[in-house]
Amino acid sequence: MLRTAALFFGIFLAPALALAQGHEGHGMHHGAADGAAWRMPPMDPTMPMMPGLEDELPPVAPFLAGMGMDPSMFPEARPSEVVEMADGDTLDLAATLVRRTLRGRAFVMYGYNGQYPGPLLKVSQGATVFVRFRNEIELPTTVHWHGVRLDNRFDGVPFVTQAPVERGEAFTYEVHFRDAGVYWYHPHMREDIQQDLGLYGNLLVEPPQAEYYGPVHREQVLILDDLLLDERGLIPYGGEAPTHALMGRFGNLMLVNGTTDYRLTVRRGEVVRFFLTNVANARTFNVVFGGAPVKVVASDVGKFEREQWVGSVPIAPAERYVVEVRFDTPGQVALTNSIQAINHFRGEFYPHVDTLGLVTVADEPAAQDLREAFERLRDHADVARDLEAFRPHFDRPPDRELELTLRVEGLPVSIVRAMEIDTLYVPPMEWNDAMPMMNWLSTGTQVTWILREPATGRENMDIRWDFTEGEVIKLRLFNNPRTFHPMNHPIHVHGQRFLVLEMDGVENPNLVWKDTAIVPVGSTMDVLIDLSNPGDWMLHCHIAEHLHAGMMLGFSVRAQDSAQ
Amino acid sequence: MRTLAKDRPRVAAGAGAALALLLIVPLAAFGPTAAGGAADACVAADTDPPAYYKIDLVPTRRIPGTKRATGVGYVTFARSPFAVAVSPEGSYVYDLTLSVAQLRPPRQGVYVAWVSTPDLDQVRRLGVLDAAMQVKGRVDWNKFLVIITLEPSADDLGATWTGPVVLRGLSRSGLMHTMAGHGPYQQEPCATYGFN
Repeated sequence: MLRTAALFFGIFLAPALALAQGHEGHGMHHGAADGAAWRMPPMDPTMPMMPGLEDELPPVAPFLAGMGMDPSMFPEARPSEVVEMADGDTLDLAATLVRRTLRGRAFVMYGYNGQYPGPLLKVSQGATVFVRFRNEIELPTTVHWHGVRLDNRFDGVPFVTQAPVERGEAFTYEVHFRDAGVYWYHPHMREDIQQDLGLYGNLLVEPPQAEYYGPVHREQVLILDDLLLDERGLIPYGGEAPTHALMGRFGNLMLVNGTTDYRLTVRRGEVVRFFLTNVANARTFNVVFGGAPVKVVASDVGKFEREQWVGSVPIAPAERYVVEVRFDTPGQVALTNSIQAINHFRGEFYPHVDTLGLVTVADEPAAQDLREAFERLRDHADVARDLEAFRPHFDRPPDRELELTLRVEGLPVSIVRAMEIDTLYVPPMEWNDAMPMMNWLSTGTQVTWILREPATGRENMDIRWDFTEGEVIKLRLFNNPRTFHPMNHPIHVHGQRFLVLEMDGVENPNLVWKDTAIVPVGSTMDVLIDLSNPGDWMLHCHIAEHLHAGMMLGFSVRAQDSAQ
Repeated sequence: MRTLAKDRPRVAAGAGAALALLLIVPLAAFGPTAAGGAADACVAADTDPPAYYKIDLVPTRRIPGTKRATGVGYVTFARSPFAVAVSPEGSYVYDLTLSVAQLRPPRQGVYVAWVSTPDLDQVRRLGVLDAAMQVKGRVDWNKFLVIITLEPSADDLGATWTGPVVLRGLSRSGLMHTMAGHGPYQQEPCATYGFN
């Protein structure tokens, strides 16, 4: 269906698109004249087009939601609404086409229940809710409940836990919330398209203990995202396979809760607890709160052992962090993504700042002074108690090992040559798309990202790991830097929780349960996985284009009662 | 179970077993950080720093007893709740461990390690090399030079070095260079992009 849709788009609608502007100096020959819908994503005008790439196009059909239909045909998406759900409640959730207006331009995108992001579901820890999902977009989809240790049947992985939900079909999910914290839901089919176009929402699981977190004046749930577009609209996606397979699709428009103009007004001295989720396809953010004091309290699946002061919050795709911020000084505080970007052509790092939003701090003081409580860094005894049972496993040798690597085949010769010549240095983390034309032209048909098990030589879905419920295993992840194109990978484990014990020989002194962790280039990370949830699960890179270029494996956790 | 260790730090040829020994010394033995505080105590663990980002230290041969000296630097991310350590400006925050071998102890003075930005406009003192010819400190630049100098005394070290340079090295990122004027961009004149 996707292929048909893409073909329809390519044949009938592409000629209507004119050559992309903004590439006058790049010597591009393709565009409206050649009948293709593809146009190259915007790139730094000071960066010359690589010789030999002027005529290249991704070897897949272009795809956009709605297949070029007039955005006015669709209802304007509404901001996310909060849905408080009690144990046993049912929610109807539909994935639909919506109209989104960003910076004055209308786009056809996707939304859950016509909202951006999807509804924020608030539930109590221990609750079970039912979600009657209905698919009304043109692609098959599923809903994955990211980080939630739920019944395997409802994990939302196509061909593993359920059949894809085709257009017009429905599937009811039963979601049990075993852990407190912030989680999220998103499709597990062509996330590079569906998630990027707006199919994501948060789950806020409230703990029963009133003092689980410290006192704050208010809470804010922030979803960080980016979109790749030019003056003509969204840059098309790859139909049969993702484009941007080397680095992932970095956007050039930053979104907080689906908007470009996130605003918050607080009183002087207010303490705000922010629940941060990064839903971007590829971008790791480095979130800065304008110099206001920030302490990190929790991450994916619970609290840290100890709260810590931090200067910024590096957050990789799919990760969550809970931070508390005190706004002391009246005026405006910019919420920014502050990075050292790379210009490979010039061979330079350069500072780059995106403003994600603004916090206005009023002169009027907060009604309640929380300074004393805020300045105290709490040790979380409940977390320490939970970890005690796992400490005996910390020093054991790894039970499993994975090498993170890739294979390329059929990339344009210019790209291969350039990368072989000019990749004398690869950074541990990619904070920006430093090679936009090469990245855009690389697709999942040419690039295979690989999880390789050295012990067996098996790769990706050929790896089969069988465990038993209650087992605790140590997994060593090595991100091999000596490959064609090394890159950082946020590795996500479905249905379980894990601890990052150490990286590159440096022990982690402040543990927190995670479901996603970033493995920088060249690094070796040891994680301890608590296999507490039976079923057939996935482990994969959460850069959407890497996932759909193969970087995933399956593992089984056999229920204890069936193991006996 | 260390089958993934093929990219681990390797001792430079000629450095011999002494340097290999240095590499397995617990990091806790290293000195204070350049950032003004002691580095976190660190227990030797089962994995090693990334060899890919290894810094080779090359002697200047200006000082008697330094001709055969070799050295290496390894970076690991400073401890952080986020696994990667990044400054609010977006620079990596590294713990840098330097180990030097075949360097005769000075008859007078001390060997001191410094780090600097590539254009030398900022210099920080990493620390004095200890008896095992090692030092550890913190760097929050993405591209930097490492300089080891012979200073008259550890007591009156200034903001930058005054003695002769004994060894020097460059972070791996120093290999990143302009593509103008070579390779696939041979037709692009360097001068257009500010390079001569």
